[in-house]
Amino acid sequence: MDRRRLDPVPLVAGLGIAAFGAILLLDQLDVLDLRFAALGPLACAVLGAILLATGLARRD
Amino acid sequence: MESRDQDPAAPQAGEPPGEPPTPEPPATEPPTTEPPATERPTTAAPATEAPAGGAPPHEPPAGDPPPTGAASTGGAADAPRRLYRSRDDRMVAGVCGGLARYFGIDPVIVRVAAVALVFAGGAGLLAYLAAWLLVPDEAAAAGRGPGRTATVAGAVLLVFAVTTIVPFWGGPFGGNWGGPFAGLLCLALLGLGVWWLASGEHPAGSARDVLRRAGLGLAILALCGILAVGAAWATAVGGGTVVAVVVIVAGVWVAAGAVLGGTRWLILPALALALPAGVVSAANIDVDGGIGDRQYRPAAATAVHPVYRLGVGRLVVDLRNADLGAGDRRIDLKLGIGEAVVAVDPGVCVTTHARIGAGEVGVFDRTSGGIDVDWQDDRTALSRTPRVVIDANIGVGALRVTQDDPQAVSGHDFGTTAADGGNDACVGGRNG
Repeated sequence: MDRRRLDPVPLVAGLGIAAFGAILLLDQLDVLDLRFAALGPLACAVLGAILLATGLARRD
Repeated sequence: MESRDQDPAAPQAGEPPGEPPTPEPPATEPPTTEPPATERPTTAAPATEAPAGGAPPHEPPAGDPPPTGAASTGGAADAPRRLYRSRDDRMVAGVCGGLARYFGIDPVIVRVAAVALVFAGGAGLLAYLAAWLLVPDEAAAAGRGPGRTATVAGAVLLVFAVTTIVPFWGGPFGGNWGGPFAGLLCLALLGLGVWWLASGEHPAGSARDVLRRAGLGLAILALCGILAVGAAWATAVGGGTVVAVVVIVAGVWVAAGAVLGGTRWLILPALALALPAGVVSAANIDVDGGIGDRQYRPAAATAVHPVYRLGVGRLVVDLRNADLGAGDRRIDLKLGIGEAVVAVDPGVCVTTHARIGAGEVGVFDRTSGGIDVDWQDDRTALSRTPRVVIDANIGVGALRVTQDDPQAVSGHDFGTTAADGGNDACVGGRNG
């Protein structure tokens, strides 16, 4: 059976970026108030998840 | 398994067909398991130097670092253990994986210690970079790593990068002796790093291949720079909703590439789009008011505007000659990036509310700074005394309320000056 192997790096990165964009959108719509205190951890979480997925993918 | 794991089979292929395997080599040949001391292969010996008889299948292939405790087997007992950067167990350059294998401990322990040392004055980072440069790569030792050209080019680029950056730190090796040539090399190094991040490929091969990848990396970097500036500007001028939607679409596209493939290159541009837009949103930067320096010096109370707005620059509202009557006068200041200065007469009580994404607030002798600054200084005016209520919203920059000449006040000039008497016109005075 020819099944394409799931690449975790774009999956994690894409979901992280989409979530980041959703928060930006909510901030623009005044649903929430994005501050640096939240942006910093949020950006670190997205970048960290991408790097972690990259490292784990290389280990595999 | 990788090709090097099949090396033990290779010598057998060279044996005459039909000939049974020889358990013991002829006396004239060097022994396969115990070579002479002068020719005893170290763990760094390349695979091509393996004895003709081949190693037994249970032995690690030549070039591999010995496993923990390997020194207790056969002739390897006297061979010094060699430290290599791990090829198979690596997150960045395989330094922690190599150390863990060398000491026979869990790599996670070494990685946690390394990360902890990074926050201890950056010692871990320097040690890691030094090990990256000095400790040989496991694969390179086995003769299957990047070519010598790439290694030498990388070392030269790193040296020039350090010598270019160090002068900015004012370190002991100061002096811009690297010149523009070093700047170009740093750009090439940056391009290689970006290419490595974007593609996951290491800069191996001929110098031409390395330069080509450096160029592609720089092209991605340039694209990211354009996207970053564009996203930040679009968000600052009110197009943040569109940018957010584009970021979501890019994220979904990248995620779809997990199955469809071919979207890894989009990760960096999408991040370059998202992060600056996030910074502008968090700082609440709005550059609608234009760019430049604006000075307002109302000569009467009726000339005082309720709102003063500026996108980028220095905004000065000098109320010292406005002859404000008793009662409240509300002023809204909206500044994207820059400095706002409000000058008042000593007989005016000032109440200040300010929200600053990143920067400082200085109201007479009181100051505060940092990121996400929320300033609340509510005051009650003395009877028959004018009160100015300032509500400032600044993205990145500073707010200064003073009794000095605004021309003599700069963003770095916080604190009480000779002419700044403080909020003496309020109940409780400056300490109220």
